Amino acid sequence: MAFTSLAFLALVGAALAVYSLAPRRLRWGVLLLASLTFYWLGGRWTVGYVFYTAGTVYLSGLALGRLNRLRREAPPEERKAVAARCKKQRRLVVLWACLLNFGLLYFLKYWNFTAEMLQPLLDRLGAGGQLPVSHLLLPLGISFFMFQSVGYVIDVYRDKYPPERNFGKLLLFVSFFPQVVQGPISRYDQLAPQLYQGRDLDWDQLKYGIQLALWGYFKKLVIADRAAVLVETVMGDPWSYGGAVQAAGVFFYCIQLYGDFSGGIDITRGVAQMFGIQMAENFRRPLFSTSLTDFWRRWHITLGAWMRDYLFYPMSLSKPLGRLGKWTRRHIGGTLGKIIPTSLATFSIYFVIGIWHGANWRYIAYGFWNGALITLALLMAPWFAAWKRALRIDDRAAWYKVFQVLRTCFLVFLGRYLTRAPRLLTALWMIKETFLHPQLSDLWNGTMLTLGLTGFDIGVILAGMAVVVAVEWYQERGGQVRLTLERQSFFVQWLAIAVPLAVLFCLGILRGEYISSGFIYQQF
Amino acid sequence: MSSKKWLVTFFATLALLGGGVLAFNFLTDPFGVFPGALWEWPSYEMTLNPRSAKVSYIQEHHQEYDSYIIGCSSTSSYPTEQLNEYFDASFYNMFMYGADMLDVEQIATYLIENYTVKNLVVGVYIDNAITYDTLPDERSFAIQPAVTGEDPVDFYSRFLFMDPRHGLDKLEAMGENTYAAQAFDVFDPDTGAYDKKERDAEFIGGLEDYLAAYPAFAAYPEGYRIMDEGAVAGTLESLARMRDLCGERGINLLVVCAPVYHEYMAYFDWAQVEDFYTRLAQVTPYWDFSLSSVSFDPRYFYDETHFRNCVGEMALARIFGDGGVYVPEDFGAYVTADNVSQHLEEMAAARPMEEGAYTAVVPVLMYHDVAEEGDPSVTVSPERLEEHLAALKGAGYTAVTLEELSAYVEEGAPLPEKPVVITFDDGYLSNYQYAWPLLQKYGMPATIFAIGINVGQTERYKDTVHPITPRFSYEQGAEMVASGLVSVQSHTYDMHQWAAFEEGQARENILRWEGEPEEAYREVLARDCQTLREEFTAGFGEEKVNALAFPSGQWDQLAQVVLLENGFDITFTTQPGDNTLVRGMSQSLLGLDRYTVGEDTTGEALLALVANARG
Repeated sequence: MAFTSLAFLALVGAALAVYSLAPRRLRWGVLLLASLTFYWLGGRWTVGYVFYTAGTVYLSGLALGRLNRLRREAPPEERKAVAARCKKQRRLVVLWACLLNFGLLYFLKYWNFTAEMLQPLLDRLGAGGQLPVSHLLLPLGISFFMFQSVGYVIDVYRDKYPPERNFGKLLLFVSFFPQVVQGPISRYDQLAPQLYQGRDLDWDQLKYGIQLALWGYFKKLVIADRAAVLVETVMGDPWSYGGAVQAAGVFFYCIQLYGDFSGGIDITRGVAQMFGIQMAENFRRPLFSTSLTDFWRRWHITLGAWMRDYLFYPMSLSKPLGRLGKWTRRHIGGTLGKIIPTSLATFSIYFVIGIWHGANWRYIAYGFWNGALITLALLMAPWFAAWKRALRIDDRAAWYKVFQVLRTCFLVFLGRYLTRAPRLLTALWMIKETFLHPQLSDLWNGTMLTLGLTGFDIGVILAGMAVVVAVEWYQERGGQVRLTLERQSFFVQWLAIAVPLAVLFCLGILRGEYISSGFIYQQF
Repeated sequence: MSSKKWLVTFFATLALLGGGVLAFNFLTDPFGVFPGALWEWPSYEMTLNPRSAKVSYIQEHHQEYDSYIIGCSSTSSYPTEQLNEYFDASFYNMFMYGADMLDVEQIATYLIENYTVKNLVVGVYIDNAITYDTLPDERSFAIQPAVTGEDPVDFYSRFLFMDPRHGLDKLEAMGENTYAAQAFDVFDPDTGAYDKKERDAEFIGGLEDYLAAYPAFAAYPEGYRIMDEGAVAGTLESLARMRDLCGERGINLLVVCAPVYHEYMAYFDWAQVEDFYTRLAQVTPYWDFSLSSVSFDPRYFYDETHFRNCVGEMALARIFGDGGVYVPEDFGAYVTADNVSQHLEEMAAARPMEEGAYTAVVPVLMYHDVAEEGDPSVTVSPERLEEHLAALKGAGYTAVTLEELSAYVEEGAPLPEKPVVITFDDGYLSNYQYAWPLLQKYGMPATIFAIGINVGQTERYKDTVHPITPRFSYEQGAEMVASGLVSVQSHTYDMHQWAAFEEGQARENILRWEGEPEEAYREVLARDCQTLREEFTAGFGEEKVNALAFPSGQWDQLAQVVLLENGFDITFTTQPGDNTLVRGMSQSLLGLDRYTVGEDTTGEALLALVANARG
């Protein structure tokens, strides 16, 4: 069920109404019902996967909880022995939970890719036969809810909080409807209490929720879906265009992706807020990132945080990496020797982030691109510092910030070639074309108007993005849009309702023969 | 403001905006899905969505019709007038562009179940073997839930919550609407057919000219079409269900396979074609016009998949055995399960006809005053005129009447081997004094295009003091007409004025004044036609006043359309050139070219001119 459908709005409205009328202790049940309805309408029987994940993490959680309790409650003299025994079992449980979930995820999302790669190898070895290929539909948002659920298991393993004993409640945590298809990837201790609390609806929260959702719809319907038309034209047949038009295609893809994904997240967070639920932030003005590392702290924050907490730290603190660190310090020494293990962990994380996006060489290359650049920056940091000193560059100067932002945007832009081109080799060829055969005149000789959008539409996208950048710049400087608005006269506040609504109606929802496309991030 | 107040304001604004859009879309209804919109314009709505708009139209007008013809866009070309006459019924053309047989079945079933249906004509097109149940999810192809059983909330919300620019476009188009069909109003809502009044007023003659005007036929691209078993099966099942339903309800069902341009037909694999037509015959008997000599002449087609209205007329005449209408012998066959294989053999053997077997080249001569003096390029002395007539006769030419031309085109009647048409413009007294005796002497018929208001004026132009070259009177004209050798036809009643002698703006020709409202112009021209016809019928005893020579040779498409509507179906220009008449194509009688002859033209030169015309 698309966020842009009337049915979704109806579901939200109905859920809000029933939620407010239901007794407090049953309200989580209303949310669960709404969530299952949402998933059922969007994916029918694939709702089974949600039950599967919830079931496995529920049982793992209970088992871990029991083991944690055993360890805690053991008499002091036995504590050590019990802890040692439990440790093994606890690890086994976590391993199983990860295997059952990531194994399924692997099968559904990556098996065909693997089979495709292995088949030629098998053929060459003369093994004969065909590797089976899965024809199962990829369930909506599976990467999101599985990562979120496995995070819960790891937290229980770490004894961060006791396991949830009510399966229904845990199912709600896994399937909460505004977030289930595209995140943010929430933490149990942050989200679950709010889901189960059953707070009364509150005018302020309703208002803020609506405002946030409207902002999301604006980014999705007015900007992203429009840009999608041009992007699909160029990327569907990049061979027909010169390098500059290809670059324009990637540029509009950057706009589309940001509008689509951050817009979707704003709708999610807005809808959750209507119920009084605060969800984790997933974007913090990534357009203003000063480095690629900074970008990943601002873009898809919850995925980065998940990787950090559940992959990077464990990896960095793991024994093999510890041993490697010792070795490098001894044999290489200096800064380099110190940061090699960290760099290795960093590199691996981005590699996984790349693969998380999908089973394709392009995404692997994308992970590699990010990992390589960030690792390189880490390794070269001492040199950079020396250059800056030599050139007397003031880190705090405005022009330097602008330079950093533009540099980051450029690197992100280059990375997007990899994720959007039809194939990896095509992406590399396109980058080459962009720099070697741009055919710049295509940008103004009318070619841009043959890509499925009118000049008006292109203007709407650019103007829309200008509004987004202006608002984010205001926020970046510490401004609070909602509070600023609330201080205005009634008329101005009314305009702030009517104008966005009119824009949304006329340029978004009611656009000609436009058929709303699904959100891009649902497939990841 | 407080959050509560904010929320109230928000929802009020939302309701206002949403309600505004909803009301606007409902009232403008550009796709014609709601019957009785405020700004109703069926032609526009049918153009945007023929399916829904026609259903809406019939919901309001069903009492005016008792029979329907339905199919894809080529079905438009079977004229309802003729259907009404042959069936003695009142037909509506429910055709839809891009229709497949499921659309046809759904709408036919809806009509049968809800309204009076005495006759149902179903058009089958060869493309029905390629597509079935391919309703694209677009507003232009959507059919009301009353017909399809679709969820009404889904359906109507698509039209209520749509971009209001659709409605705005409609209001804008209303301001730009003209009498001629434009891209946004291509339907004639009264008949349901495409509004082809302009296309049917195009001057059509020689094949080369046609190919120049329709270059798509000149270099027809190579291609292929593969029939789809699912589509074939679906089409035949739909037809079988319609056959059964008509049988149950006692409705007269006629299935007609439309003519196809031969090069398009060649896109198909013949074995598949045979299979499709054979299986079709097993479902229902049908009239088949798919491939015949007609398919080989592009002049009979608007484009490769749309045959002209005149071809539809021939097809209906064949079905109803109307001997008064020309129909090529190999055009159309009644196919049943018993004779289908034989029919397919004949169809496979279809070849173009010899050009001379259904076309004729006819030169037309244009004279004016017959006098010893005057501009020698247009005025001719009696002696020279006699020289011309003698030369023609001597060279074996036969002067023919306009009626003979009509009979050739409409009925397929023969023409003499070397036909020539003699015409005189303006209606000078000299035509009576000098030309008529000569015509009698040589036994050669001629047509005089007289200006109605000047008939009988011998001294002054109208009621002014300005002298005029004398014109013959009604008595004199009647005398000539009675002889059977002369026909007096229209040079307009009063649309060939002398600007210098008129008060106010003069009508020097048949064209619309710049800035003149179309409606007013059409009325002026219609009245002129009507007055002339009344006067000429009464004054000259002319039985049929249906030919007109454009004053000063000036014309345009609108003028020709209005003339056709007023019964003037033979028209003449002043351009020199060939005229190719095509049997079965009344349009070949429009805009006939004429050679200007005068004192300058010797008998020999005249023969060279007409010989040139013969190619």
